[in-house]
Amino acid sequence: MANKRQKANIAAAIKQSGATPDVTTQGSMTQPNSAGVSIFVPNRGAVATPPPLNQPKKKVKLSNEQNIYMAKKKIGSFSISLVTIILILGLCFVILHPFLKLVPTVLSNPEDLGNPNIIWLPEEFSTMSFEMATYHVMKAGPMTIVSSISYALAIMAIQVFVSAMTGYTMARVKYKWVTPLLFVMVILSFLVPRQSLLVAQYVYFQHFDAFYIMRLWGAETNLIGNPWSLYMMAILGFGVNQSLMILIFSQFFKNIPKELEEAALIDGCGFYKTYFNIMVPNAIPAIVIVAILAFVWNYGDTYFTRYFDPDGQYLGTKLATVFANNDTQKRMVQDTATRLFGLSKASDLTFDAVKQAGVLIFLLPLLAVYLFAQRWLVENLESSGLVG
Amino acid sequence: MNLTYETKRKLLGFTFLIPYLLGFLMFFAVPLGQTIYYSFQKIDIPEAGGMSFTFLGLQNYINLFATEVSTVDSNTQILRVLLDENTNVLINMPLITLLSLFLALLANRQFKGRAVVRMIFFLPIILGLEVVTEMLTISTGSEMVQSSGLFAEGLVARLLIHYTAIPSQYLYPIIDFVENIFSVIARSGVQTLVFLAALQSISPSMYEVAKIEGATAYETFWKVTIPSIMHIVMFVVIYTIIDLFLTSQIAEEVYNFGFVVHGSKIGVASALSVVYIFNVLLMLGLALLLFRKVVSSNG
Repeated sequence: MANKRQKANIAAAIKQSGATPDVTTQGSMTQPNSAGVSIFVPNRGAVATPPPLNQPKKKVKLSNEQNIYMAKKKIGSFSISLVTIILILGLCFVILHPFLKLVPTVLSNPEDLGNPNIIWLPEEFSTMSFEMATYHVMKAGPMTIVSSISYALAIMAIQVFVSAMTGYTMARVKYKWVTPLLFVMVILSFLVPRQSLLVAQYVYFQHFDAFYIMRLWGAETNLIGNPWSLYMMAILGFGVNQSLMILIFSQFFKNIPKELEEAALIDGCGFYKTYFNIMVPNAIPAIVIVAILAFVWNYGDTYFTRYFDPDGQYLGTKLATVFANNDTQKRMVQDTATRLFGLSKASDLTFDAVKQAGVLIFLLPLLAVYLFAQRWLVENLESSGLVG
Repeated sequence: MNLTYETKRKLLGFTFLIPYLLGFLMFFAVPLGQTIYYSFQKIDIPEAGGMSFTFLGLQNYINLFATEVSTVDSNTQILRVLLDENTNVLINMPLITLLSLFLALLANRQFKGRAVVRMIFFLPIILGLEVVTEMLTISTGSEMVQSSGLFAEGLVARLLIHYTAIPSQYLYPIIDFVENIFSVIARSGVQTLVFLAALQSISPSMYEVAKIEGATAYETFWKVTIPSIMHIVMFVVIYTIIDLFLTSQIAEEVYNFGFVVHGSKIGVASALSVVYIFNVLLMLGLALLLFRKVVSSNG
């Protein structure tokens, strides 16, 4: 709808300015059609001038040459769109293929696995794989899913809040040498791979003593296995990929016009009020993008959770540890399959089926969030500051 | 209080920075310093708890390159692992960058059902999570190996192998790539998102101008689209390199040396970490350098 209106505006603008269309429109406009724009190129030999864009088409008798040109153009654009459609369908298939492949494995009776006749549909429906996966991954029942989701949501909220504040100051408050230094710091902490600091961070949490302050009233504490270590990292700006989020926010706030702040100042807003009442509502696109990414990354994170809170009920971590690709885990899963679920034989294929059922359980909340959120993702993409 | 507006602003703004600065000290600067310190020490963990240090000098680094073997496969040396991972990054980085650009260009076109296609194209953001890619692979045990050979056993591949004159040393890597295209796509979710954002932020008037000047689609792409997203390509390249290193085997080795192989290997793990950091920075520097060259040679 908006597109139509804007098109009309452009057409009007072109009409007014005549031969030199000097279109200066603000904000979002029609989608640029990048790869294969079908362009009307007037036949350079012929004298015919292109008809004005917005006038109703009159029947103009075309010369033979022009007819051939038009036919060629039609065939060209048709073949381009055909190739595009095939490519798009192919790529969609490639992306979805692992999922489609899961269906027969996960839904069929574990004893049927390896049957070469089964390609797309299971012969005999069974939810055995899911039951086994639930047994392994969700020791606390459905609460495991709830607690991993709420963990991801909590960390997401913290990360968005902290990153936005840091990004705002980095972008809008001019310190003489602190600002460039801050950018160097953020980029550096993004560049240095987190695994390389793992050992030191682990030891640090094991003997946690914030700047030797805690020694004043008692000894140091062991924060390994305590979810507070994870929350603390997010609060202090070092959660999963948080440097990247700070960079996104600072890019976004850089592009917000200065007049907005000046107007707020004149209306009597202080620094905090300007930020929370003016800047945050304006930053919704960036917040949406960062929030979605943060949720996905934290829900899927097995790194921090595995090392700093090994006993916590996080679905991703459980999956990664239970279904680690080594012989002990395989034997364990196969053992329970025969012992508790009464399978006559259990092979690697059983292990795979249970593993993939586990992945599906893990992915379901994520896919639900994704389906719900992807509309915003695309809508806010343009103004999200992702592209600086 | 007689502070000017600017000073007041700076002071209040600083309160926003406090968490990050604290975090930088606690979770970055101190651990980095400690990692470097550990890498020069032999670290023992006595029964009583705590750690005891003995200064070793460069011995950890020498051991790392001379004698240490991979924790996953005791037949490969760490040096070998480093080299393999670097080649891996060098091969995959351009592939991922190009593929995500391609996906974004497709998703940016006007066609029916674009919303659905975009949704599918962004799915790799989820599918690229390390857990998911790890879990979706089929474990190849001793028993039946369920081949994922969708392409390698297909008609096209057989035609290529038997009826064309392409030498097999070139053909097989290509077939391999097509076969494993999912693993490349799975790493390109965020990049596609970033590229699509960049493509949408190109001002449509640029395309109008190109149209009126009589540029073909090809010319428009190279003269308008590519220059407008060049700075984003740089970002994507950096992101891809870091992402690839994060999921590489080196990262796993660091963890295994530090925790699984219990006891005195913490020094080696730290040395490996330091090497790893330099490796990543070197690779990024290389990519930047190459990129500068490409950009400047294009004018």
